This record gives sequence, C-alpha cells and structure tokens, in this order.
Amino acid sequence: MKKIFQHPAEPLTGKKYWRSLDQLADTPQFREWLQREFPAGADELNAGGVNRRDFLKLMGASTALAGLSLSACRRAEKHLVPFTKSVEWAIPGKPLFYATSMPHRRGAQPLVVTTHDGRPTKIEGNPSHPSSGGATGTFAQSSLLDMYDPDRSRFFLNRGQKSDAAKFDAYLESLTAEFGKNEGVGLAILAEENNSPTRERLRAELGKKFPQALWAVYDPLGSDNVALASKAAFGDGVKVTPKIEKADVILALDSDFLSFEEGSVETVRAFSSRRRVEKPGDVMNRLYVVENRYTVTGGMADHRLRLPASQVGMFALALAKQLGLDSSLLVPLKVSIGSENTSVKFDARWIEEAAKDLQSAGGKSLVLVGARQPAAVHLVVNAINAALGNLGETLIGSEVEVKPSADIEDLAVAIQNKKVSTLVVLGGNPVYNAPADLDWAALQQSVPSVVRLGFYEDESSARALWHVPAAHYLESWSDGRATDGSYVSMQPMILPLYGGWSGLDVLARLLGMPKPQGPELVQETFRQIAKPSNFDSEWNKFLHDGFLEKSALPARTLSFDATAAASFVSGNSILRRMLHRNTQVPTDAVELVFAGDTKVDDGRYANNGWLQELPDPITKLTWDNAALVSTATAKALGIEVKDQIGRQDFDVLEISLDGKRKIELPVLIAPGHADDSITLPLGYGRVFGGRVATGAGVNVYPLRTTLQSYFAVTSRRKVRLTGKTHRLAITQDHHSMEGRALVREATLETFNEEPSFAKTMWMDAEIKRDANGNSHSASLYSHPPLDAPNQWGMTVDLNTCTGCNACVVACQSENNIPIVGKEQVVNGRVMHWIRNDRYFASTDEHDPDPEMVMQPMMCQHCENAPCETVCPVNATVHSDDGLNVMAYNRCIGTRYCANNCPFKVRRFNWFDFQQRPLDNLKLGPLTEKGSPDTLKMQKNPNVTVRMRGVMEKCTFCVQRIEEAKIAQKVKVGASDDVRVAADAFKVACQQACPAEAIVFGDISNPESKVSKLKAQEKNYRLLEYLGVNTRVSYLARLRNPNPKMPDAQKVAAFQNEHAHGEHAKPQHAGGKE
Amino acid sequence: MANFFPRWSNWLPLKIAVCMAVLGGTVTAGVWYYFTPKYTRVGYQPVQPVPFSHDIHVAQLGMDCRYCHSFVEVAAHSNVPNTQVCMNCHSQVQKENPKLQAVRDSWVTGKPVEWVQIHKTPDYVYFNHSVHVNRGVSCVSCHGPVNHMPVVYHSKPHSMSWCLDCHRAPENALRPPEQVFNLDWQPPAGQTQQEIGLKLKHDWKVMPPVESCAGCHR
Repeated sequence: MKKIFQHPAEPLTGKKYWRSLDQLADTPQFREWLQREFPAGADELNAGGVNRRDFLKLMGASTALAGLSLSACRRAEKHLVPFTKSVEWAIPGKPLFYATSMPHRRGAQPLVVTTHDGRPTKIEGNPSHPSSGGATGTFAQSSLLDMYDPDRSRFFLNRGQKSDAAKFDAYLESLTAEFGKNEGVGLAILAEENNSPTRERLRAELGKKFPQALWAVYDPLGSDNVALASKAAFGDGVKVTPKIEKADVILALDSDFLSFEEGSVETVRAFSSRRRVEKPGDVMNRLYVVENRYTVTGGMADHRLRLPASQVGMFALALAKQLGLDSSLLVPLKVSIGSENTSVKFDARWIEEAAKDLQSAGGKSLVLVGARQPAAVHLVVNAINAALGNLGETLIGSEVEVKPSADIEDLAVAIQNKKVSTLVVLGGNPVYNAPADLDWAALQQSVPSVVRLGFYEDESSARALWHVPAAHYLESWSDGRATDGSYVSMQPMILPLYGGWSGLDVLARLLGMPKPQGPELVQETFRQIAKPSNFDSEWNKFLHDGFLEKSALPARTLSFDATAAASFVSGNSILRRMLHRNTQVPTDAVELVFAGDTKVDDGRYANNGWLQELPDPITKLTWDNAALVSTATAKALGIEVKDQIGRQDFDVLEISLDGKRKIELPVLIAPGHADDSITLPLGYGRVFGGRVATGAGVNVYPLRTTLQSYFAVTSRRKVRLTGKTHRLAITQDHHSMEGRALVREATLETFNEEPSFAKTMWMDAEIKRDANGNSHSASLYSHPPLDAPNQWGMTVDLNTCTGCNACVVACQSENNIPIVGKEQVVNGRVMHWIRNDRYFASTDEHDPDPEMVMQPMMCQHCENAPCETVCPVNATVHSDDGLNVMAYNRCIGTRYCANNCPFKVRRFNWFDFQQRPLDNLKLGPLTEKGSPDTLKMQKNPNVTVRMRGVMEKCTFCVQRIEEAKIAQKVKVGASDDVRVAADAFKVACQQACPAEAIVFGDISNPESKVSKLKAQEKNYRLLEYLGVNTRVSYLARLRNPNPKMPDAQKVAAFQNEHAHGEHAKPQHAGGKE
Repeated sequence: MANFFPRWSNWLPLKIAVCMAVLGGTVTAGVWYYFTPKYTRVGYQPVQPVPFSHDIHVAQLGMDCRYCHSFVEVAAHSNVPNTQVCMNCHSQVQKENPKLQAVRDSWVTGKPVEWVQIHKTPDYVYFNHSVHVNRGVSCVSCHGPVNHMPVVYHSKPHSMSWCLDCHRAPENALRPPEQVFNLDWQPPAGQTQQEIGLKLKHDWKVMPPVESCAGCHR
C-alpha cells in the first residue's frame, strides 16, 4: 500500500517563514500552485499557432525526410587540425589562466580568467590578491557574456553610416592638429568614473597639451558626494576606506555595502569574517541597518529600521545629537538636510540604544552611509565617526590618485554657452542616463561634432558624428586600482572580436601618439609606479600575479576638524550638492528613490541575459523593474494586498512629476519597505535594440534630475494607478517549501545556551542519533556502496550568506546553463541550478517589519535519493563518491525525478534553449535553428550542452571533481595514493562566494574544511527526518540582537517559540497506511 | 446477412502477423548488427592528406609515440603533431619526397594539414588520455597495433560496452608503466596478463568508474 508521509503542520504560533504575500495569506490558488510539480503552465503545450494537426503534419514530413536522408547515410568526415607552429604555453584541450582585472567605479576587481583555445570561458577572482581572495560578484561573473554579446557594436559609424577605423583615425589626427593650435579650446571629454592610473596619466598629458580642454566625469551611480564630504571633513585628496573586519558594531545608514553596486567583494569578505561563529562563546559583530527598502545588507541586519531615504539625514542628525555632537558644524547642516519640523518617523529609543552600543564599542564601531545620500549627510556621519573614535581604527585614510574633475553639469553649462565644439564621450551612455533636467539628447545634438566610444550602438550613438565600437575589458590593455588601493593589471584575453578600440586608444590618438599595439601605455605607467630595476622580469611578474605587491597608495592620517568643516560648508560655492533639500515639502509627501539595480546596475548590463534573468535578491523579479512600495503605501495608492494574491499581472502606476517627466511602471508590494516611499530601480527600458534589453522594464531616468539624483520628494497626488496591468516574471513562489523548517535560526544567546538547537527543531527532535550526532535511516532500496576514496559534501553557512546571487551566475557560467526568456520564467521554467530562497519571517502577518533570511538551494545529493528510485531508465543514479549523477544521454524526459524531488531542484529543458533564439523557441522542427556563434564560444567545453527534453540539475561541478581525481591519478601514476587531497579544488559557487558561505569538499577526510564545518553543532540537514540523507548541510543562521533595543524581543521571538517551547515537538508524526 | 469476406480471408490476419514478425525481426536483427560500432567503425581507414606510415616511423625507425603525440601524458586530448614537428626531421630528411608535399606546403603557407579523424568519441563522452597512459593502459588497448599500421585504421569498436568491458576488468589491460608505449609488449614468460594486471590493480588501487556515470559523462 502506498505510504503517504504526513509532514507536521506548521505551528499555530511563533514566527512564520514566508516567501510572498500569497503564501502568507495561504490562498487556494497558492495551494494549487504548490501542489503542482511545476508551476502552472510549465507542463502545457501552449505553443502559439501549433495545434495537434500541424504537429502531426510536421512529424510526418520530418519522418519522410529522415527516410530520404538515411539512404544517403555516410560517415561524416571530420578533420583534426593542429597548429602549424606550436603556440607558447598552449596544450590542446587544457585551459590557460590569466590574471586581469575588471574596471568598476569604486575600484577594479582582480580576476583570473580561464581561456580555452584562446576563448575566455570563465571568470574567477584572483585568489592571490588580498581584497578578492578568489571571490567575485554577479557583475564580474556575467561580464564574460557581455564580451560575446551578438548585439555588440561592430562598426565604425560616421553620421550613422558604416565607415572604418582608418577614416576615424584620420579624423582624430585632424582633431589633434586643430586643437594643438588653440590649446584645446572647445574640446571636451566626458568619461566614466574609473581609477586607472594610465588613464589618469593620459589625462594629465591631455591637460598639458590642451590646457583649455574640459575633462568631465559622469556616472549615474557615482561617488561625488562621498568625495565632497571627505574633502570637507578631512581635506583635499583623501579617500576614506572602512575596515569592516575591525568593527564590532556597525550602523549602515541607507548603505547597501554588502551588494556589488555599492559595496565590493572586499566589503562582503570583511563583514562575513566577523560573522563566523564556530562554537558557543565565539563573538560576532552586530549590524544595525536603517534603509527604505530591503537590501541584502538589510537582510543581514540584527536590528533594522525602515525609514524613507529622505529621512536618513534627519536620522543622522538625531544620532549626532544623541552622541552629544552639537558643534558649530551641525547648525548649517541642519539647514541643508531639512528642518527639524519634518515629521520624524523613527523611534527615539532605537536611536538611544543604538548610540549607546556604538559608543560602548570604543573605537571599534563604524557608521556607514550610502554613497548617493547627500554630501551633508556624509559630513554628519564623518563627524559621528570622529566622535566615536573610529578614525584610524575602523576608518583609514589614503591618498587619492585621480584628480578631481568637472561633472556633467559643468559640461552642460559649457555646451549651453557654446564653448564646446568637439565632445568625446568615452563609454557611458549620457543620452540615456544623464539627469533629465539637462536634456542631454538636445545638448549633445547641439555640439557640432561628437565622438562616441560605445559598447553598443545605443541612445548616445544615435546623435554622434562618430560612433566607435568599444573593446571589452577582456580585449584591452589597461590597469587600475583595486578597492584596497593596490595597483592591478588588465590584459587582453583575446583580440577585439569586432576591432573595437579602448578608451586609452582614443586618448592616445587624441594626444598624437601612435595607436597602441600592445601594452606600451600601461608599461609606461608601470615604470612610473613600480620603478622597476629589472623591467622585463618585474613587468612579467606584474602580469602573471595580476597586481603589484605593496603598491597601495600612501596612507593619510584622518583628523576631523569641525571648524574647518563648518567653514567649508558655509563657504562652499557648490553647496548645491551638499543640499538635497526640497524647498516645498508637500503635506501628503511621498518620496521616489532612484536605486541602482542589483542586476543591470545603471543600465550598462541591460543586454546581458544572465543578469536579466537573475532573480533580484529581494523581489525575485526577473526581466523587469517595478516600483516597490510598502503595504500601507500600496493601500494609500488604492492597491489592496488581497487583490495582489495569485497575480502575474500587476497594476501599473503612473508617476508624473510634470508634463514631460512622466513614467508608467508596474508596482510591487515589497515587505519591509518604508511607508511613503517608492523605490524605482534604474537601468531598464532600453530602446537601442539589443535583443535582451529591448522590452525589459521601464526607464525611470526621466524622473531623475541633478538636484534629485537619489531621491525626490513629491506629492502623492502625482502618483496614481492607471488601471492597466503588466505581466511580471517573479520566481519567488516557484519551488516553494511549505514551511518545513528549512531555514533555522536563533539568537547568539540561544546558541550559547543550546548550541545544537538546529539539530533538534521540529521533526528532527524525534531522530535517533548515535554518539557522533549522526542519524541512520533504513532504506528499502539497495544503494551502491559509498566506498570511493573521496566522499563529496557541502555546507552552506546561512550566517554569512547575504543572498547576493554571485553563486547563481557563477554556476550558470560554469555549467552552460541557458536563459529561457521572460515568458518561460512566468511559466516556471527557469533553469538555474542553484537558487536563493528568500524568506520573510514574522510572528504577526500584518507586521510591516518582517525579518529576512536567505537560503541557497541546490541539489542536496541525497544518499537515499527519491529521484533515483523513480527513474525508469536509470538516467539518474548514485556514484560511489556520493554524487547524485545525471546521465543526459540516457534521459528520456519523463520528469518523474523532478516530481519526486522534495527540494524541487531539478530543471527540465522544455525547449531547445541552447540552440534557438528566445523568440523562436516554439517553432517547428524544420525551422531554422542556431544560436549566434559568439555565444557558442563562451560555453565551457568540459560540460555537456543539454538539448531539449533532458532533465538537469546541480552536479556538484562534477567536471571539476573528475579533473581533480584525474590530476591526482596522473600525479601519482604507478602508486596507490589516489585520494584527492583536502580542499584541492573548489566548485564554481564556492569559488565565487565572497562570504565564503559555501564550502565544498571531501567529507571523508577529517582535515577538509567541509568536515570541520559539518562537525559544528549548528550544522543541520534539510528534511533529515525523512531519511533522505543529504550531502549538503546548512549552518544555522544566528542573530546578535542588542537586548536593550526596543525590537530585541521580536528578533529573539524565534527562540522563545521554537527552540525551547512545546512547539519544538511535532503534534503528529509518521506515516499513515 | 451475406458473407462479405471470402473464406480464404480467415487466415489473412495470421499471415499478415507472421509476415510482419519476420519483417520486423529481420529489420531488428539488421539494425542490431549493422548499426553497432563493431560494424560501422572497426576497419574505417580513410585516405589521409599525407600518407604517413606509423609502421615506418615506429616499428622501423623506433620513434616513441610521445615524440609526436607529445601531450598524451598530461592532457585529456592526445594531440596530433603540428607541422613544425614534422619539419623537425623533414627539413633534413626526405626533403624532396613528393608524399610530403602537403607538409611542406603547410609549413610555407601556415595553413595546417587537415588530418582525417578516425577515432571519435561522442560529444557527451569525456575521455581522458593522460589518466589511462599514466596508470598502465597502453595505446594498443584501444587503438590496436598502430605501430604496425602503414595506414591507420579503426581497430576496436569504441562502444560504451567495449569501454565497460575493460573498466569492469582492468586487469586484462594493465601493464607496467614503462611498457605503456611499447605496443609490442607481451607478459614475460611464466606470467600471464591476468596475474600482472591483478597485482597492479591491487597495488595502484585501480578503480575505474563502472556505474558512476559521471566518470565519463558530465
């Protein structure tokens, strides 16, 4: 008789974990959705226009054709084509690794790139560089796909007509000659934020050759405010770097320092290094977060206060007051931040206790503030950090190499005054992302000649005299400074695919130098920075290592001079950026917050399919952006939560600041969002024709102005529902878990009292364990013996995982995982092998302040795997080293395995995602197939590219495992030491993870990292009471609340309800016949 | 009611069934035999652009396999020599030989010689040469007596069951490491291949993947 396992019901009281409002409401639609193997629509043939009759016709035709072609069946003659001459280092079939770095506005990221036969196929962090440690982020991982983007600009265009490099070269020569005569009067250059020393050197030379030329820098998510405040507080040319690893107490004011847009791999590494609690008694840092919307940083918070972004300045002032700072500085700042009369929406006790906690840390505290908060807020925070004694402790100063430059407003003024005759736009996309009040499109049009270096033929190219295809950073020579200030190299992996130029090439030609053929420009900079005694060997070492040792910029002592800062504030003519004030704050105010997107950044990655399809860490939204609001604000706008249940089509909001500045975009209710605040992610709504970017989301730049570059306060009357709806592809309900205590967390205090709390929760309290804490369950099936020398396993530390998604893209890049397009994501057919489950947790379902936890979920490699027993063709079986392996060539696509997987981690190829463009997926078998050649070049040759009708899932990067095993066997040859050494290699997700939350290795080797982690008491396995014996285990999440905080009880609610209480025991258990 | 069908039609279904069975059986048997690698692959001997003779180079001149297939011990792929390797000798010897015209042309033009591929694994099979030759499996086990082939031909079926025959009983192929590239090696008198193989299998802990699909399919 069939045995149906009755999982225990969720307890009626205590903290509930939920993914979406639907789940919390527990509607019938949601239940039906859950019961399905795949989300609704995922297993239906809903191909447009193809009915059964057509299908049979096509099948008949193809069978007939197959018969015809069989008669001419011949062995295809294939050729082996060796090189004519041997290539240095190249061994056919073996990859080569090169160190390089990826430019980023806040510092280059050191990388190691894998190349197969000259094609870069995978990007990893540079493990020898201290700030990377081998980790990367989502942007670095997916930048690889950008290089192979078939929509890249391929041609030199002169007034939109195809031209060539030689003609452009001649044009540049004429520019050099022309401006050489008049010292550069009329020449302006608009560049992106970048800290390349070579670019800075060329810029200085440009300043010498053309002293009258204007050099402006614009980045929509730039850090001008930080620089300005640091100048006011600490003087000229100082960069302040937080040492997060030294801080015991951190307060983040609207600072998403754990994301890759605002933070970096280094900040995540530093933060997580203080979150690793191994045994009772260990200490961890405490994080307070004040923010308007949930970010990954907010998810890591021990205490979180939701506050509109425009109120963060007020909060900072209140904190300063609480800390006793009432110097002359605060008075002018108060004026610039806002009047004290503005309704204050934060709990005074929250500030009081947080301030005490910061003070008690005694110089081991840190207050961080978001880069795009007004400079005035930065200045207050600088004062606070000085008062807390953090300068020189958790905040250190260093010199800045990049000289200050004009900004886009200065440039706009110059253009308006007809002072610019030639504008050179090096990268960036100002027509798309410049502040709306500048009307950049018209400005650019009014410049007689515009030269635009661009990666795509996009909005800005349309109005340029010359469009120059840009080389990708993997195709060009350059250099940079990492976030820690060390000098890093950037070298090409491949010649420019479409003959693109780099920014340095254009600058060099503009200076009258010959176009660089190789690294000569960077070599010159290297000579100046490294002062090498033996150039060749030191240069080669620099390229080999990817960075120059001991090359960090000189340190500067930080001392905060309140009087000087106050006089700077009152006397500064560019106070407009200090001030971020709205002269008239309406009584029914609602703020609009312009946020850099977690996926497309400022829009530069909009045509990157990996990023577009990556679920946002918080909203789990793909292929779109949406206005995020709180439940209360939604209600005020006329949206009821209960109307949102079970929806795929969401209400569209119109935000109309004035006649011209009007946008319409869908609205999403985001739990934990501040009231009276609307978050608008930037970077979508591109119109340049990229096949991925087109149609994805809405452009919100039209609402953004120079004065309101981060948030704008407006009247609620200007925001209204349109009555239209828009379909959004959200992955949050896909593969849900029905509240089976998959995420386990407790406070640090609970952990100290009861270290093994995670092992005894819920049904797991019933499990019989041996002395080592292992459970043994009987199985009715026979299993292959697990007798290989290595036994693979994994742990995921929920206490350090921020849910940043770096692992998801790393896995996609390593394992040739296709993207499926918006329509198929709506149908629940997303292919990611690893997903980040984001749970909200609250005791009261109406609580507007839920907590958030992340849980990466991949194939758990059950030793007693439910998927294996149901496969009719043995396509998924167990290996002797403990892997649940998939043999694609055996799979016939019954999908029984996915049906039987309790973790819902199996993915089915519903269409030929690898062979067909996304808009062509459903066409019949005789239609044209094929994906662009460049996309094929990106594929990892060591992983099978799966076809339609095949099941796939996480393999534990079996290609890396096998390579390691083979390497060991090759090394030992004729002897018996075939066991792979502990931690000899890393799997892709583990390698990318900046928090080192994912650890993979040999669980049979007590020396391996993973064995040590699994021995920790807070290690637990999912659904252990089912006896599936997973090889992946999780380290429970710990929170470190301050018991004096007003919300401390809430944070600790979990412990009261579950870990000790009666609810730890299930109400009913076992099966029924 | 009248009889619509004549009497002889009573046997028709049976006759049709028997015919179909015979036909079906024949087709099945034909596919079974003729579509297997044993039939389709073994003996494949295409004409190469250069009539290179392994027999002359290895058996007569005594060259080692690894002079040309230089990375077989370190890489998954056993490389085919590039033109430069040929020219190492043939810029000195047989300089005028017309059979070598294609090699000399390649050297001058830089255009590689396009050798016709004989041994090919499917795309979903990840075979690794280095682990086999470093662990006592000789070239001859999979490629046959190449050293005596004037023109290379496909000697073994290279089907999955053929791979597994050896993976299940590696003792039938293992030999001392110094004899891996000696294709003519025979077990010394008084010893059998089985005895030697079983000892090596035990001493080196040889455990080739048998039921672990991921060993070859990734």
